[in-house]
Amino acid sequence: MTEKFHEELDALKKEVINMGSLAKKMLNYSVVALKDSDLKKGKWVADHKVKLADMDDKIEAEAFRLIALYQPMARDMREIACILKMITYLTRIGRYGKDIANVAFLLRDKTHVKKLVSIPYMAEIVNSLIDDALKVFKDDNVKRFNDFVEREGKTDALRYSIFRECLSYMIEDPKKIERCLYYVMVARYLERCADHACKMAEKIFYMVTGERVEIDCRDETSKSCFTGVKKDE
Amino acid sequence: MNKNIKREEIDKHRGDLRLDNVNVHYGDNHAIIDVSMFIKQKHVTAFIGPSGCGKSTLLRCLNRMNDEIVGCKTDGSIYWGGIDILGKDVDPVPLRRKVGMVFQKPNPFPKSIFDNIAYAPRIHGIRDKKKLIEIVEKSLKDAALFEEVGDRLGDSAMGLSGGQQQRLCIARTLAIQPEVILMDEPCSALDPIATAKIEDLIEELKKNYTVIIVTHNMQQAARVSDYTGFFYLGKLIEFGETKQIFENPKEDLTEKYMTGRFG
Repeated sequence: MTEKFHEELDALKKEVINMGSLAKKMLNYSVVALKDSDLKKGKWVADHKVKLADMDDKIEAEAFRLIALYQPMARDMREIACILKMITYLTRIGRYGKDIANVAFLLRDKTHVKKLVSIPYMAEIVNSLIDDALKVFKDDNVKRFNDFVEREGKTDALRYSIFRECLSYMIEDPKKIERCLYYVMVARYLERCADHACKMAEKIFYMVTGERVEIDCRDETSKSCFTGVKKDE
Repeated sequence: MNKNIKREEIDKHRGDLRLDNVNVHYGDNHAIIDVSMFIKQKHVTAFIGPSGCGKSTLLRCLNRMNDEIVGCKTDGSIYWGGIDILGKDVDPVPLRRKVGMVFQKPNPFPKSIFDNIAYAPRIHGIRDKKKLIEIVEKSLKDAALFEEVGDRLGDSAMGLSGGQQQRLCIARTLAIQPEVILMDEPCSALDPIATAKIEDLIEELKKNYTVIIVTHNMQQAARVSDYTGFFYLGKLIEFGETKQIFENPKEDLTEKYMTGRFG
């Protein structure tokens, strides 16, 4: 019976990774849609919103079924708990993708105030965070989290830099206000996605090690603040 | 001044049980190997582990039940209230009065409900009818059975349901006011409703008694106990707070057992 349970749990983990890939793709496509006014990609994102929600429901139901049937403990329990949290974060990430694709539609007839650089760069960092979180979820190598605090900090800095840049454009030329407001919103969405990726990393770290840490911590005195995993661990 | 504090500290822990290098042999079979642990008074401690790991054997050390088994040899010490209860000079009979036991299958005497509970107090010399009624009522109430059988104490205990019989056995244990209650798989022969009642009862009992429970049902151990010890092949592999053992076991063997990846 336990063998069957572990087979089912492994299948569920695969499903979470598939969901993660979809959420990641939605986010990436939405940023490309915005940058290049690629409405085909934007439509793809909008079309997959329902699929993402379905995956969320399906995985949740399956996780509940496994809990009810097998009452898992220790690592098994931590895995299921992690899955239940992860799917919420992944749904949020995918939904932000959809929101960004929406902005791409709204700006489809307008040219950008300048070539978008910071937003795609931010998206790249967010993408790397989600990617690494999913990899650790698969292979347990928590060393990948070592520079998460740093990378997350970078997205924060970029968000403020985009805000300041947009502010000066808006002051300069009121015609740019609409576009710039959207850029600020998108930067905010991406920064939230980075937070979600970090929250996922915290849950995955707990799943692997049984220890709770905080990755997105600005309070230096925070006890649980993640300081990285030593080489020999 | 310091001496006083120390004395208070000692008194506070008087009811705790300290096992020091306990070993049990059944003939050539080394059933318990160097077990040392600390069992806190008025808490629930659970022993878990696969069949044959020695958890029931260790439980039976705590009231010297192994003395009754031919060829069984126990070494080491179990300190309780400043006395090594494994000591040769300790009489197991009064010890068992202080350390009650509830078994896997309910085993009421083929007597009335009243007589089942009054049996032990009578042996201990209580003859006063009023006093006996008082003890029976209190024991039944403490075992959460009085409401169900209070109006038919003269009926045979054999007519009770399995769950009621088990609670009767607990009441029978409580009648002689023990300090420690040992439970060896107390719910394995019971349905989920009766099991839930026993579990609620254990929660109540720990206010006044030290409870040590052996169970195969890990969820039950997780629900009722404060501390858990995991045993394997006669050794205590891991001992700690229940929450930690079930959520994040430190030992690989414990993890494997919990997640069913054994063998």
